[in-house]
Amino acid sequence: MTGPARRPTRQLLAPDVPDFDRRQLPPNVRDALAGLLLAMADDEFVIGFWDSEWTGIAPLLEEDVAFSSLAQDEIGHARAWYEMLAVLAGETADRLAFGREPAQYRHARLLDHPRTDWAFSIARRWLYDTADSVRLGALARSAFEPLAEVVAKVRREERYHLMHVDVWLRRLAAHAGEPRQRLERALEVLAPDALTVFTPLPGEWLLVESGVMSETNEQLAERWRAEVGGLLEELGLPALPADRPPAGGRNGHADSESFSWLWGEFTAVHRLEEGVTW
Amino acid sequence: MTEQQRPTDPQPASGRHEEAGRLGGGARTDVFEVFRQEKDGDPMRHAGNVVAPDVELATHYAREMYSRRQESVRLWVVPRSQVTDLSDPDLLQPPLDRSFKKPGGYVMRDKLEQARQRAKDEKDGQGTS
Repeated sequence: MTGPARRPTRQLLAPDVPDFDRRQLPPNVRDALAGLLLAMADDEFVIGFWDSEWTGIAPLLEEDVAFSSLAQDEIGHARAWYEMLAVLAGETADRLAFGREPAQYRHARLLDHPRTDWAFSIARRWLYDTADSVRLGALARSAFEPLAEVVAKVRREERYHLMHVDVWLRRLAAHAGEPRQRLERALEVLAPDALTVFTPLPGEWLLVESGVMSETNEQLAERWRAEVGGLLEELGLPALPADRPPAGGRNGHADSESFSWLWGEFTAVHRLEEGVTW
Repeated sequence: MTEQQRPTDPQPASGRHEEAGRLGGGARTDVFEVFRQEKDGDPMRHAGNVVAPDVELATHYAREMYSRRQESVRLWVVPRSQVTDLSDPDLLQPPLDRSFKKPGGYVMRDKLEQARQRAKDEKDGQGTS
């Protein structure tokens, strides 16, 4: 690397990720876990950036603050996962977050869609947050304790996210006319990609066998469909497609025009000066 | 589902140039007063207010405005319409002299000194008996 030596980014008052020795995991499990962490980190990072686009233009001033705060929370969660991954991979969280090409990101395809209108952002956040919640619920029982420890903290914040997005989903569904029409249109566009959050990971069987994951992504997808299916039915909204999680649901982001645009935005400062810190 | 069949995004990707949020024409908002407790045992103090369509969202907004940086341990959210306002000057600021209702007329210093001396004498008396 050329340019000035890297300085560490600002230290947290209390680190979110506990100290751990990566050698406590066999190399093949370590690689598979790195894939899981990268998927979760990129999910949180990308939705955090999309939703931060609402700063200044949400339906009312208070919502502006609320939605931006949620988006910031997701960036915070991404930071925790990138830091954990950095220990596993001998990397830095900053380089993982900002130093890759679009094709190297591993977020779910659900998060390639642009923020679009308010109903669209709410529909996407509801699909993502409920799926993330099922995933975190399973990882809270992980045999890899440092992971279970961070998951427990993240889940306490996600509780409020679920409350907030639930309020908005019900509100949009309950108002016939434009709000409901926009919500239905958004769900129609997003539903086929919703299952990509549960895309099977490379070496997933190693994670299940070693207890790092308590269930497979396919099992999690079934549980999630049952959970959200109840609310969709209650609100008279169309059911989700009965597909299995698609194999390539976390690849191919370089082909997404909207993600390429977002990547250009969130890496702008990093690309301006390698190793820049704040 | 093939790429051709998949419904497309309502608008092309263009980041911030997409649609801003707005409340529908029929939407009504209310003002909610927010009180917060900074730490356990502290009194509830008025923090400010939020505008929201109902108490549920008002509670979320109060949480964001007054505790997203962990600065409160309890919030009270009250619709302003439920607050009884009393600001009648005849009731609160009557014109006649009120100084006789204030404790300033009593000089306590000498009496307090005598009382302390008395208490000390009694204690000493007990000690020697």
